[in-house]
Order: sequence, then structure tokens, then C-alpha cells
Amino acid sequence: MEQHLIKPPVEQRCADELAFLKETDTGRRPENWQLSPKAVRTFILGGTVKAADGRSMDIPRKFYGNDALVERCIITLAGSRGLMLVGEPGTAKTMLSELLSAAICGTSTNTVQGTAGTTEDMIKYSWNYALLLAKGPCREALVPSPLLIGMERGIFARFEEITRTPAEIQDSLISVMSDQILNIPELGDEGLVFARPGFNIIGTANTRDKGVNEMSGALKRRFNFETVAPVGDVRLEREIILREATDLARAGHIDCPVDEDVAELLAVTYHELREGITDTGKLIEKPAAVMSTAEAVSVYFQTLCHAWYYGDGTMELPVLTENLLGAVCKESTDDLARLRSYFQTAVKDKSTREGGIWKEYLKTASVLR
Amino acid sequence: MERIPQNSVSLAVTEPDLTAPVVFFPIRHHSPVCAWQLRRLIEAYGPSCILVEGPENANGLLPILTDPATELPAALYYFYHDKKKRLSDEGRGYSCYYPFVYASPEHTALTVGRGNGVPAYFIDLPYHDILLHTKDANGLRRDQERHSYTDDSHLTSAAFYKAVCEKTGVRSFEELWEKRFEIGGLRLEPGAFVRLMLTDCLIARELTPPDVLEADGTLVREQHMAFRIREAMAVHPRVLVVTGGFHTPALMERIQKKEKDVHMASVPADQQGCYVIPYSYEAADALRGYASGMPHPGYYDRIYQTMTVRGTAEGVYADVGLALLTETAKACSEKDLPLSIADVTAAWTAAQGLAALRDSTAPGYAEIADGVTSAMVKGELTAASSLPLRLLSAAATGTGMGRIGDRSHVPPLVQDFERACAKYRLKIATIVPADAETALFTSERELEKSRFFHRMRMLETGFAERKAGPDLHGSRDRSRVRELWRYARTPAVDAALIDHTTDGQTLAEACRGTASRRIAASGRSGTAAHVMVDCFLAGITLAPEDVAKTERLLAEDGDFFSLGEGLHAFDMLYDLRTLYGFEDPAVRQYLERCFSKLIVLVPTMGAVQPEQAGACIKILRALFGTAGRTLPHRMDELRTALEALAGAPQKEPSVHGAAMGLLYAIEPSRLADAERAMRGYLQGAASYRKQGALYLKGLFETARDIALTDTAFIRMTDELLAGMDTDDLMEVLPSLRLAFSCFAPQETQTIADAVAALHGLRADRILWEKAADEALAAFGAEVDAAVFRVLRQEDVIPERSDAP
Repeated sequence: MEQHLIKPPVEQRCADELAFLKETDTGRRPENWQLSPKAVRTFILGGTVKAADGRSMDIPRKFYGNDALVERCIITLAGSRGLMLVGEPGTAKTMLSELLSAAICGTSTNTVQGTAGTTEDMIKYSWNYALLLAKGPCREALVPSPLLIGMERGIFARFEEITRTPAEIQDSLISVMSDQILNIPELGDEGLVFARPGFNIIGTANTRDKGVNEMSGALKRRFNFETVAPVGDVRLEREIILREATDLARAGHIDCPVDEDVAELLAVTYHELREGITDTGKLIEKPAAVMSTAEAVSVYFQTLCHAWYYGDGTMELPVLTENLLGAVCKESTDDLARLRSYFQTAVKDKSTREGGIWKEYLKTASVLR
Repeated sequence: MERIPQNSVSLAVTEPDLTAPVVFFPIRHHSPVCAWQLRRLIEAYGPSCILVEGPENANGLLPILTDPATELPAALYYFYHDKKKRLSDEGRGYSCYYPFVYASPEHTALTVGRGNGVPAYFIDLPYHDILLHTKDANGLRRDQERHSYTDDSHLTSAAFYKAVCEKTGVRSFEELWEKRFEIGGLRLEPGAFVRLMLTDCLIARELTPPDVLEADGTLVREQHMAFRIREAMAVHPRVLVVTGGFHTPALMERIQKKEKDVHMASVPADQQGCYVIPYSYEAADALRGYASGMPHPGYYDRIYQTMTVRGTAEGVYADVGLALLTETAKACSEKDLPLSIADVTAAWTAAQGLAALRDSTAPGYAEIADGVTSAMVKGELTAASSLPLRLLSAAATGTGMGRIGDRSHVPPLVQDFERACAKYRLKIATIVPADAETALFTSERELEKSRFFHRMRMLETGFAERKAGPDLHGSRDRSRVRELWRYARTPAVDAALIDHTTDGQTLAEACRGTASRRIAASGRSGTAAHVMVDCFLAGITLAPEDVAKTERLLAEDGDFFSLGEGLHAFDMLYDLRTLYGFEDPAVRQYLERCFSKLIVLVPTMGAVQPEQAGACIKILRALFGTAGRTLPHRMDELRTALEALAGAPQKEPSVHGAAMGLLYAIEPSRLADAERAMRGYLQGAASYRKQGALYLKGLFETARDIALTDTAFIRMTDELLAGMDTDDLMEVLPSLRLAFSCFAPQETQTIADAVAALHGLRADRILWEKAADEALAAFGAEVDAAVFRVLRQEDVIPERSDAP
């Protein structure tokens, strides 16, 4: 399918897979779910799906790292509590939330984006003031929020970065989640909106924002929490970088081959800087910046773009290091020293032991200024 | 079976033929499904003999293990003392545990055998033979603190299982095992279950390199087990063989061959043996790092016991799982983490949903833990927020401790320990630590209780730790009259007691044996003195040969400081004999011996190194104290020795001061000598003047009243200070401060008064300057400012000077 959007929603990108899964799905599904929990798991964790007529489809894995977490998320959403995904930035919380919404409800776009400026009417409902003035309070003049849409249609409402929203605004979710009902007093007797089966809320919260707007105990009790950890396996991180970069390149019409060695190099660098320890057990200083896999993908893709537009299509290590520098040295000037020290210890060590690309990589340390 | 690499082996695995003369039942240790299916298979097969994997030198103890009065967990504790140094040059001891819980299929095999009147016994090599056939650093000779016979790491760490886990997205072998065997296996008939087990075990076996099997003794053990099976088959028409699944395929093959038995070593009875000991669920937990059977044995034991009570496996996982969740919520509430019924319901719903999603008929431990993670952990999963998970794990592990039914087979030392625990009402039915207090000097019983704890400590059993009380070793808190002990009976306590079996039949005898070894190993009086302190606290007197050994040790010790340590300890023990109601007649002997040796060495102490002067003075004071309290008839000897020390040509000044102080204490008329010596320092060269402070320090340490009864020393000290320039004063100041630190505040005041009187002042005038009056300071500042203003106006100082 030709792509016309920068980032089409999951349900559009994976329409074929979702359709095939729906067609072949024989499992029991909760009311209003598009797929059974088993099919949802297959959609996210991958697998081969066979149809009764012999056709089959390989569904690629879309979320790496913790299969049990995905299973817990699916089961939570089938129950009466909301799902709250928490974790470091760049750990694919939003992606998981989109995948779950797309697979279960067929749409991943029913979303509230939490910010410091989010207000209660963005969460519940607001009014089209022209119509309100013209016709008075009526359904036509009502502008439903994603929450209200979710309740009425029996689908999920996604609430991104919930802890960036002031606590009193967050708490407006409590009554909805407890009673599954939203009262719109302006509409009088018709103002009671009851949630349809299938409605639930998926929230995401960044642990780096912890304490900014701590969730109240009452709200916490209405969610099941799942902590999404950074990818712990270098091999896996390399795969993610390659897969994501390939997808981004395809979307950007960049017909340039991905370099697996460079992906590995970057995966190792990010992994070691995040963990603060090298593969030989040497302790290194962790940068203050977020060393997420998403950042690694971004660095890799930038390097790929550089090779496509300015070079001969071959990824160049000095460019990679420059991009790495830009990605790491954001929050603190000390991070430059930490990155330099990483090159002087870990990269130097690997260039002596393994040579090859690591030797080349070490040479690029001169750009770290 | 799409998850298993089918091409790795040819699977000629069939269900067992229940009409055959021999049937093999592969098991995993502590696995309830294996025990359950084994019970069913025994019913179906009706064996005339049951052979179980286990070191056969414990066969005599099996009736105790299967005694209905024995409560599990229990363990067979095997030991071997390598006195002939066959394993290493160290000739050290080796030991291992073979734990049993109710879910252990081996226990089921043995108890059902006993119930049916069928012979059931172990067929593996004796423990010492296993060791002798194991290469160093392999199998039961791996370098680890504790060994378990039921090490199933071959199975649990098999590479193919890792691959299966990775491919199916299952987190660990244990989760895979639970789903595939523990829960999935309950739906199968025993024959089909055996086939399933054999299939997996065969693959694990085929993928293990032969050199590994050779090195850890697996092959030799299997040779012997196969021999025993053939022996049994010759006598019994239907033989059931119950072994770890990893061995079963090899044994099935080996019994076809006519192999000879393994050559077994002849080891005397006093160098090897086995006991049945109570064990704990905590120790039986594979998660504790010994790879011995299943994790969470308490949970799986409940599963098995519920199945056997109900006679069916139906609904057991659901009921036990829900009970476990409820207990976890209760434990959370006790830890101030209130969880509601809604949380338990949400966790249980999640566990059930996950079981369905994972194609499991019932939620197992993995699903329950996932349910708790989802519904009970609030916020980010961190060490702090994961309390519910930790409590779940603790509840699933279990805190119970077993009990041996047939008391006549309990090792005498353990019996003595248990008798004492019963006498003092100590809680030993659980491994949860408890506190006990001993009010030392209120009654003989309390002292005995304290001695019991000290005996357990002396035997290094790890049973009790003293949290508070008098510390005679460090000579601290001697005025305390209570001891607070924290104790817990763990399997290691029993094991340690069994290790002391050769030392004696009672705790007292074992302590005497331990003391004897420690004295033999100690080369200094100081070390021997600590052994004696231990004996004193434990109420133990040494055997005559050890008394002689200690005497010899003291006689041969020529180290002043080590002997001083001995003197201090023996004097203290002699002093406390009435209070503690315990007297070892040998202590007085040792005290005299140390005293005599030290007296001889005192005159040489003038040449002591400055860093040892403090310790030397302490010993001189101890000698004086001993002579004054216990050995008055030897005071003259001490005086002569001190005189010799004082008269030596070169003397460390503080030791010299201490000697002079003691001589003054013995004979107050010698005050003039001490003054003369002080004057010698004062009037000497500059370097000697500085040493005057050290002399004073030594003097005050042994006879501080000298400064309080006579003003001569105050005057001389004043002269000493007045005669020094600032640099010299700064150099001696630390020593001087130290010298005066021995005085109590009241005494310091008395000295201050005397010093002030020397200068015709009141004491408060020399102690500190009075703070300036605030108004006066402000007036001074004003005057200063006015003067500088005038000076600037007159151009005497520049306009921008820093002055006010």
C-alpha cells in the first residue's frame, strides 16, 4: 500500500494482519472486542496464523522483551480495571498502547494527550459554542472527548502521559472508572452516558516525571500497573533498531540498505551506557540523558538519512558518532565527558579485543568536542 | 509437540508396559504431579519391589523417614570425613542433604511401598563412593557452601529447554515445567505421563556431553543402579524403578547390558554416615541456589496434600492458588500495605484469565504471581513496591520445619539440643527467628539457659546470635545483667550438630571436644585465653590433657602481649567465678603461670616500641591489679620487676611513668622517686623535656591520685609548659591532653584550682576568657572607625585602604 502519511495508525499499517486474524479467530472474545485475547497476543507477539482453507500468514512480532507483560495487559483490559503502563522514556509504552487499542478496538486514535495544560473538559466533554448559542445545550452542540467516545462506542480511550496532567484533572477519571457512567448535567435527563461493554482506559506515564503530578491513591486503585522495562538484551535491541529503521526508511522512500554491524555497535553503546557497565564488567558513568532504544533508532535513522541524501548510501561512523553526540548531550554538559570517557574505556577496549568496526568507531572519538 | 526439535533424537519412547518385569518411572524431585502419577501407577502395576534413586548407605534409615510420626520436610544428611586424603591433600569433611517434602515422588514411592508391604529401597552408590568417583569441582564436589543430592541442574538448565522457553515466550524453565507437566500432566493417564516425561528427559540427556556425565559421576552411578536393578529383577517379578528423569533413559538401556558393578571403597563407619534430620521448606526451595528440586515447595506440597486428601486433582490448583492469594493479601495488610477484597478478586481474575490465555487448565504459580503483579503492585515495579510479590513468594516457599518421629534414631547431640530447647521453651518448630532473654544472675536456670546458647555458639551451629549482653571477649558491657539472643532452628543447625557427633553425645561434651581442638591449634596464650572465656560462658571445664596442653602453651609463650591478654582474661574469669557460679580450678593455675612469665619480662619492657607502649601499660596495670586482688603474696616480685624496669638505661617515657606510678601505688613513700624522675625530664635536654608529657601520661594512667594529693606534680607540669616555646608546646600538646584525659571532671576542676592557686588566680579565670560585652565591642568598633577616619583625612593611610 502506498504510504501518504508520516505515521499511519497501527490499524491502517497492519490492516491486512488484523483482517486475517479476525477472519481466522475462533477464540472466545469479550463483548465488543474485535479479536480474542489469544489473537491479540499473536498480533503483538507474532506467530503464524493458519486459516481453515489452508492459507496462512506470518504475523511479525511488534513488541519485544516481556511476553508475560503483554499477556497481563490483555487480561487486565478484559477486566474492570484500567491499564497503566509506566516506565522510562522510550520503552515503547505508547506503541504497546496503540497496538492493544488497534487490535482490540480496531482504532488506536481515540487519545487524550496529557500535558500541563490539559483541562477537565478535554477529558470529559466540551461544547461547540456556535451551536450552543444557537440551539442551547443539546447533543449536537456537545463535543465529546475521547473518553466519552470510548464509553459510547465501547472502545478504549488512551490517555498519554497522564502524570503530566495536574492531579485534580487526573482525578476526574475516578468517577467514570468506578461507576462507568458520565453525567452531563447540561443535558438534563438525557445527560447520563453509560459506558458500553468494551470500554476501558489505557494510560501511560513516564517514570522520569514521577513526583511531578503523582497519581492519587484512589486513581491508582482503579488501574492495574505494568512497568515496561528497557530492552535488556543487546541482540534484541539490535533487531529492534534494524526493524524500526527499515520501516522508517520505507516510509521515507529511502532505498538504502541497513548496516547490521552499525546497528550492533549502536545497540551495544546504548545498552552499556544505560546499564553503566561494559561487557567485561568495567564500570562506566551513565549519562543523564535518556538512553532508550527509541533514541538509538533515531540516531541510526539519522545516520541512514545522511548516507542517502549526502553520501553514497553507505553509513559512515563519524556521522553516527556526531548523531550520538547530539542525542546524548542534551540535558547536561557532563554527558559529553561521560560519552568521551565511554570511548576511551569501553570502545578502546573493544577495538583492541575485536578490532574491525570498533577500531573505526574509536577513530571517530575526535568528533566528541 | 511442535516446540521440541524433533530431529535431535529418534523418539522410540512408548508408554510403559504394565505387564513387564520392570517399569521405569522418571521423576523430578519435589514434583507433586510426579508423586501423584506415581501413586496411580503403583496402584495399576502392583510392583513387588520398588527401587528408588538415593545413596544406599541410608537404607537403614528409610523406616524413620517413612514413619507416619515423622513430619516433613526432612532430609537425609550424608557425611564423609576424608581422613585418608583420597579426595584432596586437605583431608577435609564433605556433606550433602537429600531433602524430602510430601510432594517428593521418592517419599511417595517409599511410603506406598511401606504401606503395601513391598520392599522399597535406595539403589545409588553410597555417598562417599559418589564422591570418590566424581572429579574435583564437579557434581557433589563443586565448590559451594551446601550440596544437595537432588541437584537436577542437568534437567533444568538443558539447552533445549532454553530454546523452547525462548520460542514460546515462556520466561523460565520453571514456568514451562509448571504449565506442561505440573498442570498439564494431571490430565494424563500415568502411562501417557511417563511417556511425556521420558520424551523430554531423553532430549535433555542426549544434549548433555558425555564428558560432563563422566566428570560428575553420573555414568558410574548409573552403572551401579543398573546393577542393583538387575539384582532385584532376579528376585522379584515386578520391579518399579523410580529415578530422576535424567537417568531413566540411560538405565533403561543399561539393564540390557551385563555390566559389572562398580568397585566400591571400604570406608570405616566413623568416617562416613547418614542421619535423618528435620528440614525446612525454605532450605528445600530450589530458588535458594542449590538447584535441588522445585521452587516454592510449600505451595506444591499443599497441592499434593490436597490432591491426596481429596483423592482427585480436580480443582486443586484453583483452590490452593486462591488460598495463597488470600494469605498474601493478609500478609500485606500486616505489613501496613492494605489490600482490599477487590484487589484479591482482580488478581485472581487476572490469574484465571492468564491461565486461559496460556492454554492452561488452571492458574499455576506463574499466573498467580502475574495476577499479583497486575493487581497488587501499585505504581512502578521497584524493590519497594514489589512487597506483595515478595510476600507471595515467601508464602509459597513456606516457613515450616519438619520433625523426626522415631526419636531413638535422632543423633544424640540433636536430642540433647532439642531437650534443652524444650526445657527453656524455645520455639524450634519454625525457621522464623525468635528472641529470648536471659536474666543472667537471677537464678541458676537462667545461667544454664545462657550457657546453652553459648554452647550452641561455641559449636558454630548458627543457631543463636547475641544481640545484647556482657561481652567478656571484648571486655565490654560487663555490667549488663541480661542477654538478648535471636535464634532460629534451620537445617544447618542440625547439620552442624551432626558434624560434631564425633566430639561427644551431649552439647557439653561436644564443646569440650571443640575446645580441645581449638587449644591444640592455638600457638599463643591469647588465643587459648579466648577458648577459656568461651568455656567459662558455656560452663565447660577442660579435659585433664587439655589443661596440661594449655599449661604447656603458656609455659612456652614468650610474648609479653599475648601473655598479657591471657592474664587479663584469666583474671577476669577468676574474678567473675562467684557471680557466674562457675569455677574452673585450672584458671587460677593459668593466672599464676601468666603472672610468673610476665614478671620475668617486665624489666625488658623499657625498650618497648612507642606504638606498643599503651598496651604495655595496660598489662602493667593488670599485673598490679592481679597482685592486689588475687596474688598478694607476689606483690614484692612485681615491685622488684618494676624497679628493674625503672632502672633500665633506656626507657619509653610513658612506660617509665607507668612503672613509677605503680611503684608509688605499692609504696606511697616513693613519691619522691617519681618526682625526681619527672624533674629529670624537665631539666634535661630539649628532646627530654618533650618526653616529660609522655612520662606524665604513663604516670597518671597508673597513679592519677598523685596529681590530686600532691601539688608538686602540678607545679612541675606548670614549669614544663612555661619552659617550652610555642613549637615545642604544640608538639607535646596531644600527649599532654591525653595524659589529662584520664581525670574525671571533678578531678579536672581540682587540678584547675591548684594551677590557678599557683598563679594567685581563681580557677574560673584560667578556664576560659569571658565573652566581650556587646556594647563594649560596638564602642570599640566606633572608636576604631573614628581613628581611621582621622588618619585618612590626614593622608596617613590611603583613601581606599581595607581598614574600617
